[in-house]
Amino acid sequence: MRNPWAQTGNYRTSYQQDTSIFATHRELVSLLLFLGFLLVLPQFLSRTQVFILDLILVYSVAVLGLNITTGYAGLINIGQAAFMGVGAYTAALVAPQGIPFWLVVPLGGLVAAFFGYLVGIPSLRVKHLYLALATLAFQMVFEWAVGHMPLLKQGGAMDMPRASFLGYEAGFRNHFHFWYYVSLVTLVVLAFFFRNLLRTRYGRALVAVRDNDRAADAMGMDPGRTKLFAFALGAFYAGVAGVLYAYLSRAVVIEDYTFAVSIKLLAMAIVGGLGTLVGSFLGPAFLELLDVNMEALSNFIKALGFSVAGVDVASALRPLAFGLIIVLFLMFEPRGLYNWWRIVRSYFRTWPFKY
Amino acid sequence: MSFLFQLLFSGIVLGLVYALAALGFVLIYKASRVVNFAQGQFIAIGAFLAYWAMVSLGVPFLLAAALALAFTALLGFGVERVFLKRMVGQPIISVIMATIGLASLLDGLIHLTPYGAGNFSYPSFLPPGGLTEAAFHCATPLSSFLPPGGLTLLGVQISYAQLLAVAFTLLFLLVFTWFFQRSTLGVAMRSVADDQMAALSLGVSVERVFALAWAAAGLTAAAAGMVVGTISGLNLDGLVHIGLRVFPVVILGGLDSIPGAVVAGILIGVLENLAAGFLDPFIPGGGTRDVFPFLVLLLVLWFKPHGLFGTEEIERV
Repeated sequence: MRNPWAQTGNYRTSYQQDTSIFATHRELVSLLLFLGFLLVLPQFLSRTQVFILDLILVYSVAVLGLNITTGYAGLINIGQAAFMGVGAYTAALVAPQGIPFWLVVPLGGLVAAFFGYLVGIPSLRVKHLYLALATLAFQMVFEWAVGHMPLLKQGGAMDMPRASFLGYEAGFRNHFHFWYYVSLVTLVVLAFFFRNLLRTRYGRALVAVRDNDRAADAMGMDPGRTKLFAFALGAFYAGVAGVLYAYLSRAVVIEDYTFAVSIKLLAMAIVGGLGTLVGSFLGPAFLELLDVNMEALSNFIKALGFSVAGVDVASALRPLAFGLIIVLFLMFEPRGLYNWWRIVRSYFRTWPFKY
Repeated sequence: MSFLFQLLFSGIVLGLVYALAALGFVLIYKASRVVNFAQGQFIAIGAFLAYWAMVSLGVPFLLAAALALAFTALLGFGVERVFLKRMVGQPIISVIMATIGLASLLDGLIHLTPYGAGNFSYPSFLPPGGLTEAAFHCATPLSSFLPPGGLTLLGVQISYAQLLAVAFTLLFLLVFTWFFQRSTLGVAMRSVADDQMAALSLGVSVERVFALAWAAAGLTAAAAGMVVGTISGLNLDGLVHIGLRVFPVVILGGLDSIPGAVVAGILIGVLENLAAGFLDPFIPGGGTRDVFPFLVLLLVLWFKPHGLFGTEEIERV
């Protein structure tokens, strides 16, 4: 019997082993260790730092959804932020009625999933680019509709109540910590679901339809229903992320769910690695930290007193860096950060051998 | 009645701008199947470059326009050579994302100039004498003025700026039509759009055609930007937004149809204006023109996905 702790490389000798989630004990243990690390991490960080972590977690949830629609099913979605917005506005309408947050979170997801289903309907007829434009149109119509609804304060700030859980109140001091843990648990649950999705026939149908929908049809899958399922599921993730974002920022404003955010989410998915689980965390983390650092950099430039009349460095640097990162990744590492992660991991897995 | 005519006319002027912007989009799509999300930024760059040339360099209008056209054409050419050339054969999502990244990059670059925020308007370049002398007397652009007011026809107020915009657009479209119907390069570009393999085997450089399509798109974008600038002033967000309005236009006209782009551009412009004129009073806050084109886009996608003139893709197993 091989020692499971000291093996090099993957040894999968039975079908059962091949379909297991964790190939090695080391993988499982390192994941648990990492989760433990994430649990204690906020204790060593300041409130603003925890806030950034919160954002990364929330965006990771939305990007996971995007990786289902766009990564697995290959349906380009440039309206993911609108689905986030649907979830957030659901929360803004429901939460003040006194409904606890752990009910609001799935509810927002379900409402968003319904809208995702509706938006997915054109996918029964059109593909690729046409479909991308349908989601773009949904994004535009959503922004406009919210901006014209008195019920939603025409896009202005709608207050979100503070939450409490089992007698633990999220107050001013621990607000970000509270939502850190809620987001973390949500993310872990949804990521687990995401990881398992490909092991079910529904998940494999998504990939089959992406690769060749006519062949999938011939094999007995229903491409239309599969696409609608992908849209609804992706939108569910986005809706959940939207509710979390709404609670986290304590207000729902339309600016948080615009076309620019949709693009940001798509960029996160691509930079992380489309259709990969680890990429869904690496992408948001990378781009959020980039954003924060660009803000710091532009403040630094401002402090130097180096400025030209009429030029706002902050509003220039952020899109500049963002665009540059996307283009560079697409040109030189189209498989995203996930590929780097894969290389590092396989180095350790096969150590001391090269491969 | 004159209200309707007024809406129709200003809709047509707006539609011509859309037609120009959509033309560039369709050219790129036809040649290389690349979806250009950076069209809005090209429009803004062309418009602001002409502004900069006129105001900061004191160059006469026609020269400034030529400068802007040349620069955006070069920019389009360069962008294709540096970025898009590597994306050939990549999945469509990567190509879309590449142009989105490019749009963001250009956005950042524009923000590095003083034109990132605020409103600007072209110095009037027509001397009080009227249109005929315009071409000759623009050495001192800042001191001359476009005549205020304009013509009145059928109860429709038509400003000289609008007239000029229409004339300029029509001229541009004519030149483009000639180019594609008669010139060797234009025919080569059409052949690539028609069948890349066949074009390659007949000695057409497909690579060069791709780059040229981007250059042509840069030209049309700059033209569209300057037309918008003359009619309604310059504002980065407004100009970039036209880049998004292109999508309803190209979907309605058919993604790969040049006449479709022109016809649908005018249609969308008119529809948008009619919606603004007749629906706004019923909607709190108004602003129907911002959403109407996208509703049209959704409807077209549901009922006639390949648009008015687009070729339907027939898939075979």
